[in-house]
Amino acid sequence: MSEHIRYTRNRREFLSDAFCGFGALAYGALEAQGAVVNPLSPKLPHHAAKAKSIIFLFMAGGPSHMETFDPKPLLNQLHGQKRPAEFGEAKYQFVQPNATLLGTKRSFKKYGKSGIEVSDLLPYTAECVDDLAILRSCHGDMVVHSAAQYQMMTGRIIPGFPSMGAWTVYGLGTESDNLPAYCVLPDPHGALEAGQPMYMHGFLPAVYQPTMMRPGNKPVLNLGLPPGVQLEERTKTIQYLKAMNRAGIQGEDTELEARISAYDLAFKMQMEAPEVFDIQKEDEATREMYGVGKEPTDDYGRRCLLARRLVEKGVRFVCVTSGGGPGNLQWDAHDDVEENHLRMAKQTDQPVAALLKDLKRRGLLDQTLVLWGGEFGRSPESQGNKGGRDHHNLGFSMWMAGGGIKGGTVVGATDAIGLRAVEKPQHFRDIHTTVLNQMGLNQHALSYMHLGRKERLTEIEGMVIKEIV
Amino acid sequence: MRTLLAVVLCLNLVAANIAPLGKYTAVEKRHWAFQPRSSVEPPKFEAPADQAFARTPIDAFVLAKLKKSELAPSVMASRQTLARRVYFDLTGLPPTPQQLDAFVNDKRPDTWKRLVNQLLDSPHYGERWGQHWLDVVRFAETDGFEYDTHRTEAYRYRDYVIRAFQNDKPYDKFITEQLAGDEIETQEQEALIASGFNRLGPLRKNAGNQEVSSSRNEVLTEMTNAVGAAFLGVTLGCARCHDHKFDPIRQSDYYRMQAYFAGTLENDFPLSSREERVTWEATIKPIDAKIKQMQGEMAKSDPVKKKEIEDEILSLEKGKPAPPPTLYSVKSDMEQKSPIHLLARGEYSAKGDAVGMRPMGVLLPEGTPEEGPLDKPRAKLASWIASKDNPLTARVMVNRIWQYHFGQGIVVTPNDFGRMGGRPSHTELLDYLANEFVNSGYSVKHVHRLILNSNTWMQSSETVSAKAFEKDPENKLYWKFSRRRLGAEELRDSMLMLSGKLNPKQGGPSVLVPIEKELTEALYKPSQWQVTEDPAEHKRRSIYLIAKRNLHLPMMEVFDAPDGLVSCARRETSTHAPQALELLNGTFSNEQAEAFAAKLLKLSGGKTERMVEQAYRLVAGRLPSLKERQVAIEFARTAKPREFALAMLNLNAFLYVN
Repeated sequence: MSEHIRYTRNRREFLSDAFCGFGALAYGALEAQGAVVNPLSPKLPHHAAKAKSIIFLFMAGGPSHMETFDPKPLLNQLHGQKRPAEFGEAKYQFVQPNATLLGTKRSFKKYGKSGIEVSDLLPYTAECVDDLAILRSCHGDMVVHSAAQYQMMTGRIIPGFPSMGAWTVYGLGTESDNLPAYCVLPDPHGALEAGQPMYMHGFLPAVYQPTMMRPGNKPVLNLGLPPGVQLEERTKTIQYLKAMNRAGIQGEDTELEARISAYDLAFKMQMEAPEVFDIQKEDEATREMYGVGKEPTDDYGRRCLLARRLVEKGVRFVCVTSGGGPGNLQWDAHDDVEENHLRMAKQTDQPVAALLKDLKRRGLLDQTLVLWGGEFGRSPESQGNKGGRDHHNLGFSMWMAGGGIKGGTVVGATDAIGLRAVEKPQHFRDIHTTVLNQMGLNQHALSYMHLGRKERLTEIEGMVIKEIV
Repeated sequence: MRTLLAVVLCLNLVAANIAPLGKYTAVEKRHWAFQPRSSVEPPKFEAPADQAFARTPIDAFVLAKLKKSELAPSVMASRQTLARRVYFDLTGLPPTPQQLDAFVNDKRPDTWKRLVNQLLDSPHYGERWGQHWLDVVRFAETDGFEYDTHRTEAYRYRDYVIRAFQNDKPYDKFITEQLAGDEIETQEQEALIASGFNRLGPLRKNAGNQEVSSSRNEVLTEMTNAVGAAFLGVTLGCARCHDHKFDPIRQSDYYRMQAYFAGTLENDFPLSSREERVTWEATIKPIDAKIKQMQGEMAKSDPVKKKEIEDEILSLEKGKPAPPPTLYSVKSDMEQKSPIHLLARGEYSAKGDAVGMRPMGVLLPEGTPEEGPLDKPRAKLASWIASKDNPLTARVMVNRIWQYHFGQGIVVTPNDFGRMGGRPSHTELLDYLANEFVNSGYSVKHVHRLILNSNTWMQSSETVSAKAFEKDPENKLYWKFSRRRLGAEELRDSMLMLSGKLNPKQGGPSVLVPIEKELTEALYKPSQWQVTEDPAEHKRRSIYLIAKRNLHLPMMEVFDAPDGLVSCARRETSTHAPQALELLNGTFSNEQAEAFAAKLLKLSGGKTERMVEQAYRLVAGRLPSLKERQVAIEFARTAKPREFALAMLNLNAFLYVN
């Protein structure tokens, strides 16, 4: 079968695809039982997996590394001066060549057994530092939001390619039969520059698309009954629909059976998912730990708690976005990095740490890979007259935790002013490769033929970050 | 002597900076798709049954392959099945029961041909087949990326494509107009609109420091890749960063093709008077300034205040007068052309050797030099692509046509005729069709007729043959017709037709339908979604709904409509729970169910059995089977008509074409 029509269209193909052809042997047996295979059924990984699920804590707009995980004493010493020539050139979206360096007002302190330095911007996260692998030498290719967000999510600087979440579900299916496999929990303040295409499935079949979960009573579109429709009557409709569809099938027909079973699944989802979405089901102490019910942590706290409830039920990929709408409601601190980052950190720091602790105490952290970061960092140079920082893609920090990642580690370094990743630089493709690796997926094997190219998440080969796995 | 030396030195210097013309091995040149088309004769058969099936050349080619694998074709589908199949195939809409009856009861010998011709003449034909082309060229009406700015006049290209199919525009002309309409017919509106093809790709713009050469490189990349994918069926794009890994396309070939676009710039033709434009600009300027100021305020405001400002902005946007009509075209300005170099890893800053214009080397005689300076470079490229001797062009297009009729191409990878693509399942048949296409003057409708009048296309899809399924589970040999699921647009359009709400209006500016607030809020600029005021417009065919890159209707999205970001040569057909949720709980389907229920009640006079019969005839193009009738009547007796109607719109018999 050509890779170009890789998508599995019926049970037989699914089985032969899923198990390198051996599955086809089981076809007869399954057929006899009348079972119907769901295209999202769990699939075997390429190699032994460390993690089963991913939670991506997406700090949209680009948090500063110099205010969070990458202390730069020299930067403070050079505050107000122009960048010394020996650090080389950088292209910025707004900052002009005559800009001067901006020292940080944050102070750094060593935390945990590992003694890793974290700034006072993130006091809660700092307490979890022994679980984190901090990547201080991340870099990407683009310095504008949209293109950088595409690269971070899909590996490409242009839209139209499948996101990490879609690739993961394509590779592994899902462990949950009543929840969407891949959920995005966007920031209620608004959308991001790269828009919907950054989260999407690109050219992969629509079955791998994300489910957007919005705040409020109806987090998922079309999951609730339309107004004026009673559950009882709709249940009956679905039952009769099934009976009519069955009556229309002659003999064995896997394709039509699959559609019937998609309706069963939809109904199950409609009945059971709202229960999982309801964080009131959590005890008070837990909600409090996440900062639910108080400002400014309520929103992100709810969404982090929901993320935990989702992965607990087998959801494969959850993206919890912090930041949305106009730049200053993201981590996009062009005007005043102090004001912006203090505000954004206060909203997210406690919930993020609570998520890590909560996963850990439930024994879920081992099988859940948590990734934190934005599409780039921020410039060592000052923008504007209030101490803002511009976008910056040449060197910045991200972190991973759980899912077989070695906690309490630091990998790579930027130069003495945080301009450029100089030691063990980690491109987005390396981060993607590492994420896939922890999920038991191989960047080359996880491919899909599209327009004559074997497309994959990492366009150019990435390297597993050996120091942290 | 010294001068001569200097000249020689100079020449050497220049030569060192120009990419070599490239050498192609015999093996590379032998690839099937690069060979000239052969004139082929359909095979002949002895047995009367074989002769009966091999009524047309297509059938003869297909039968020969089947017999080789010891398989036999299926029986013919019933007349009513064929009618439903051909209505969807050519118009994307179901036949009405009256249309079905008229065909089934018409006993004249040429009824089928008449029906095919009638549908090819139907205005809905262009809407259906135009969509296929729009998929291939990744048509959309917004820029994509951060701003996703609306290209309010892009609908003219959509209408051009619909008209081209409707009027059976010769395909060579279709190619030339799209690639170079501005160069060949500088005054002809139709050709200028067509040349908007070169501007269809996503476009990244950014605030602040402009990355001029990087952005220009992205624009040129979009233009070049589109040509490879749409017309030539080769993965030119693969050679942007390095020599193609599998096909004889060198990196220099890629940039030599790109060189034809080096001077191509956007060019907007106003279709209004100067005064009109001045007045419009004067009206719009203060509104835009006000909006910009409010957006600034919004960034600093709390969520409540933000919502207020957002609503104000929305109403300001609404109050804006529509821009004066413009035509999106391009021009070639060779004075301003971008120098074209080989770019290491495709990066604009990593410039290598300079190149000039030349088509793909492997299709040219060894050592063919680059073209000299040209005033009309794209017209030259178009004449090479649309030439009768180009081995790819006609094959690629007939393969697309075949694919849309049968669900899969003779080459299963319609955009990739290279070594990594599929080998043709029926090489001779492909050449036969391509020859017919060229000899008919590139008539797409001629190819439709050849296919639709074949026994191969008229086979039943319901054949159960364990042996055939074992040998050829994907039906590559066409031992039956492959059932298919309706596409996203067909589904929406058909639901509107069944509910009696379809507005058949053709052409014109695109429509924005009302959608959930949650969806518009997922836009970076929610105010972009200005719902079209006239509600009748909301019920138009899907091809007239706006193709916005950063927001797709959930109905389109779940049923595998492409995203308009990259070329889509073949849609996926997936089956998953969100489709069921959309059709069961979605606002659109519940509205249509309500209207369909009212229609059914009226048609049946409230008689349950009649209602069930009518419903099946409308959604499935046939009467219910005994078993279906029994279940449906039991349901219809006890359920609200709306619930019954909704179930009918969710029925497999509706969603699939046999």
